Amino acid sequence: MVSVKFERVTKILGESRAVDGLTLEIKPGELFFLLGPSGCGKTTALRLVAGFYTPDEGKIFLNERDQSRIPPHKRNTGMVFQNYALWPHMDIWNNVAYGLKMRRLSEPEKKQRVGRALETVQMETYAHRMPNQLSGGQQQRVALARALVIEPDVILLDEPLSNLDAKLRIEMRAQIKEIHRKIGRTMIYVTHDQAEALSMADRIAVIRRGRVVQIGTPRQLYSCPESAFVADFIGGTNLLAGTLEECGDWWMVRTETGLMRTANGEKKLARGDRVFCSIRPESLRLQTEASISDDGNGNRLIGEIQSIMYFGDREEYSLRLADGTVVRAVQYNQPPGTTAVGSRVKLHIDPRDIVVLPQDSLDA
Amino acid sequence: MRSWMKRYDIGPATAGLLALLWCFFLVFLLYPLVFVFSNAFFLGGSFSPLYFKLMFTSPSYTTILANSINLGLVVTLVTTLLSLPLTFLLVRYEFPGKVLLIGLILIPLVLPPFVGAIGMRQLLARFGSINLLLLEAGLIDQPIDWLGGGLAGVIILEVLHLYPIMYLNLAAALANVDPSVEEAARNMGASGFQLFRTVTFPLMLPGYFAGAIIVFIWSFTDLGTPLVFEYRDLISVQIFNMVTDLHQNPMGYAFVVTVIMLTLLFFYVSKRLIGGNGYAMLGRGNVVSAMRPASLSLTLSIYAVVLGLSAIALVPHVGVLLTSISTRWFLTVLPTAYSAKFYSEIFAQDLTMVSIKNSLFLSSLSTVLDIFLGVTIAYLLARKRVPGRNILDSLAMLPLALPGLVMAFGYVAAFSATPLDPRITPVPLLVAAYAVRRLPYMMRAAYAGFQQTNIALEEAAMNLGASPLKTIYQITFPLLFANLVAGAVLCFSFSMLEVSDSLILALKEQHYPITKAIWALLKRIADGPNIASAMGMLGLTLLSGSLFLASRFFGRRLGELFRA
Repeated sequence: MVSVKFERVTKILGESRAVDGLTLEIKPGELFFLLGPSGCGKTTALRLVAGFYTPDEGKIFLNERDQSRIPPHKRNTGMVFQNYALWPHMDIWNNVAYGLKMRRLSEPEKKQRVGRALETVQMETYAHRMPNQLSGGQQQRVALARALVIEPDVILLDEPLSNLDAKLRIEMRAQIKEIHRKIGRTMIYVTHDQAEALSMADRIAVIRRGRVVQIGTPRQLYSCPESAFVADFIGGTNLLAGTLEECGDWWMVRTETGLMRTANGEKKLARGDRVFCSIRPESLRLQTEASISDDGNGNRLIGEIQSIMYFGDREEYSLRLADGTVVRAVQYNQPPGTTAVGSRVKLHIDPRDIVVLPQDSLDA
Repeated sequence: MRSWMKRYDIGPATAGLLALLWCFFLVFLLYPLVFVFSNAFFLGGSFSPLYFKLMFTSPSYTTILANSINLGLVVTLVTTLLSLPLTFLLVRYEFPGKVLLIGLILIPLVLPPFVGAIGMRQLLARFGSINLLLLEAGLIDQPIDWLGGGLAGVIILEVLHLYPIMYLNLAAALANVDPSVEEAARNMGASGFQLFRTVTFPLMLPGYFAGAIIVFIWSFTDLGTPLVFEYRDLISVQIFNMVTDLHQNPMGYAFVVTVIMLTLLFFYVSKRLIGGNGYAMLGRGNVVSAMRPASLSLTLSIYAVVLGLSAIALVPHVGVLLTSISTRWFLTVLPTAYSAKFYSEIFAQDLTMVSIKNSLFLSSLSTVLDIFLGVTIAYLLARKRVPGRNILDSLAMLPLALPGLVMAFGYVAAFSATPLDPRITPVPLLVAAYAVRRLPYMMRAAYAGFQQTNIALEEAAMNLGASPLKTIYQITFPLLFANLVAGAVLCFSFSMLEVSDSLILALKEQHYPITKAIWALLKRIADGPNIASAMGMLGLTLLSGSLFLASRFFGRRLGELFRA
C-alpha cells in the first residue's frame, strides 16, 4: 500500500493557479476524497498524481519517492476517467488487458488477471463486446476494471459517477466502496458531490481555489466545520450573522433575531468578533413536535412558514424569521396537517447544534 | 528559456517539426505572396501605384474587373436562391429515399466545370442540340444565344457546379440550429417567413457565409471554364495570359494583388457581418428532432424539385459523355455515329498517357506531403501548446481563401531564374502547389479526428504504461484512420483535377498533367474535343468514386470540408 504526498504543489494553467501551494498527505490504503466546487482544482490535483501535469512548484511523492518529473506511463497509477475513455476500437477484453500488455505479462497471467478484474466488477460475460454496446454503468465498471487490473500503486477516480443516472450512482457508490475494501489499495476520488464524499470517504479534503480548506473524516467535516464555506458546502446550513458577546460556559451571539446561546465555537474567536451561527436544517426544529427535550437552555425563535416541500420521508420548510432572514428547516415524520403555509411556528434550536464561525470564513 | 518552454510544452522533436513547417510555409506560401506584392507596388526600386492607377482608370481593365466581380456575385446569389429551399426541404423533412436525393444533389460537384464546359458548348452553341431541338419543334425560328458571348455560359456552369457546396454549408448550418430556439420563437408568436428571417436565418449566417465565400472565390477566380468558352474579359484569363510575359508587362502583378485584396475584403466583410465566431449555440437541452415526416404530395414535390434540378445540373455531364463517344455530331440534336474509340485513343497517344502518368505521380507526392503536413499541424494545434498557434492555423487554412490562380502566378513570378524555375521542371512547384492548395482539407480532416478522439483516450493509455509514441501508434492513429483516409482521398482526387496550377505551371508537353492535356486537346481541331471529353469522363469517374469513398468515412460531416 502506498501513501501519496503533495508538498506545496502549485500548477498554473493559463492565467490561473489551478492548484496553489497544495499540501496533503494521503495514508496508505485510504479512500481519500478531493471535494470542491467545479473549477476548484481538484481534477488538476488528480492529474498531477497521474503525471499528466508536472508541478510548476513543489513535489509529489508516492511512498516518499518523488514522482514530480516522472512521465505518466512510468508512474503505475490507475485512472478512471470521467467519460470512461474506453478505446472504441478495442473490445472490452483488450481494453482491460492493455495495461498488462504494456507491462509484457505472460499470456496465461494476463488472462487470469483480466478475468479476475472483470469478475470484480461483474462484467466477465461482456469480455468480447465493444464499448459502444455497453450502457453507461457497464462502461464505467469496465473503466474501473481497466484501472484495477494493473494493480496500481494508487487508483485515481475523476468524477467516475457523474455521467450515471441518480439511481445507478447510488448503487455504484456501494460497489466502489466494497471494491476498495476488498483490494485495500489507496484510492483518490475526485467529486463535487458532497453526498458521494460523505457516504464513501475515509477522509475528505475540501478544496477551494486550489487550496485545502479543511481535511477530516466525513463526520468531522459535517459536525465541526472550521469555516462557513465548509459548513455551507457540505450538507448545507443556515448562517445567522451576529456579534460574539460572551465567551463563557455558553457562548452568546447577538443576532438580528435575538441573542443565541451556543455551546462551542472556533477557538480563535474573541468577544466582539463578527460571526455566523451555523445551524443545520435538521437542527432547526418546529415546536409542533411533541417531544422536544428542553433543559431550559434551548434557543427559541418565531418563524412564518413560506413554503413546504414534501419529500416522502421528510418535509423541508422555508421560514421567515422576525428580522426577515429566511432559513431552511427539515422535519422527519411530521404528522400530516399540522403545519400550513402562512402560519407562524415556534422554532427550537439546541445550543449544542450551533457552530459559531468567523464571518470572513464564508469566502475564505 | 525554461519559462518559455514551460509556457509551451515543447520538446526538441516538436521544435524541429515547427521549424520544418515554418520553412515550408515561408518558401511556398509567404515568399511568393510577398514577392507578388512588392512587384506590384515597387517599380524599379521605388514605390509606385502606377499599375493600379491604370487598372482603375483604363476602361478595358475596369470592365474586366467588374465582369469578374459580377460573375462571383451572381453565382453566389443564384446558388443561394437555389440551395436555400433545397436545404429546408431536405433537412427538415423525413421521407423515403432521402439519402438518395442528397447524393443526387452532390453529383455536380464531381465534374470540374472546365470539363463540363466542353459538353455545355456542344449543347448550347448557336447550332447546338438545344437550339436545334427548339428549332425543330418550331418553338423558335432564330437560334438563341444561350451563352451570351461566353459570360452567361460561365455563370450557368459555375452555378450548376457550385450549388452543392452552398447546399452542404446551408444544410450543416440549419442542422446546427437548435430546434428549441425556433420553438421558443414560435411560442412567442413568430411563424413562417418571419420566423426564418428573425431567428433561423440569422443563426445560419455563419454557415452561410462560410459557404458563400467559397462559392464566390471559386467562381470569381475560375480559369478553366472561361478558357473553354473562349471568354477573355475576366481577371482570371487576363492573369493567365500575362504570366508568360511578366518581364515586359508587370500589369499581371497588379491584377493578382487586386484579386487577393478583393478576396480578403470579402472574407473580412463576411467575418464582420457574423461578428467573429458567430453565435455559439448555448447549452442544449433535450434536442427534440425538428424532422417532420413529409406528406405524400410534399414528398412528390421534393422529388420533382430535386430531380428537375439535378437533370439540369447533369446536362453538361451528358454533353461531355456524348462528345466522348460520338464520331459524328454536326447540326443534329444527338450524335449520328457512336464509338468508344476515343477512350482507347487516351491510352494510345503520348500526350494523354504521359499526362496521366504525370498526374498520378504529382498527386501521389503531394498527397503524401499533405498527410505529413496536415497531420502534424492538426496534432500541434489539437494536442500541444505551441507558440504562434493561431498563425499556424491561419497559414494552413489560408489556401482556402487564396485562389489557385494567385498561388500559381506567385510561384512563376517568385521562382523564375531560381533552381525551382518551372521552365526547367515544374515538378517541385506543382507538388508544392497541389499540396498547399489541398492542405486545408487534410488539416481539417485530421483536426476533426483529433477532436473527436477524446484526449482522455490517449491519457488512459499512458496512464496504463504506454509511452507517448506507442500511444500515438496504438490509440490515436487507429482512431484517426478513417479521417486520414478520407482526407487523403480528397486531396489526391482534387489534385488530379487541379486546373489553374496545372495550366500555369506546366509549360512543356512532357510535364503536362491531365487538366493541361485536356486543355491542349481542346485546341486541337479534329478529334481533340472528343478525346478531351473522354479524359474528362475518366476524371469524373475518379472524383465521384473518391467523393463516395470519402463520404462513407465522413458521413454527414462531408460538408465541413467545403467551408471557409
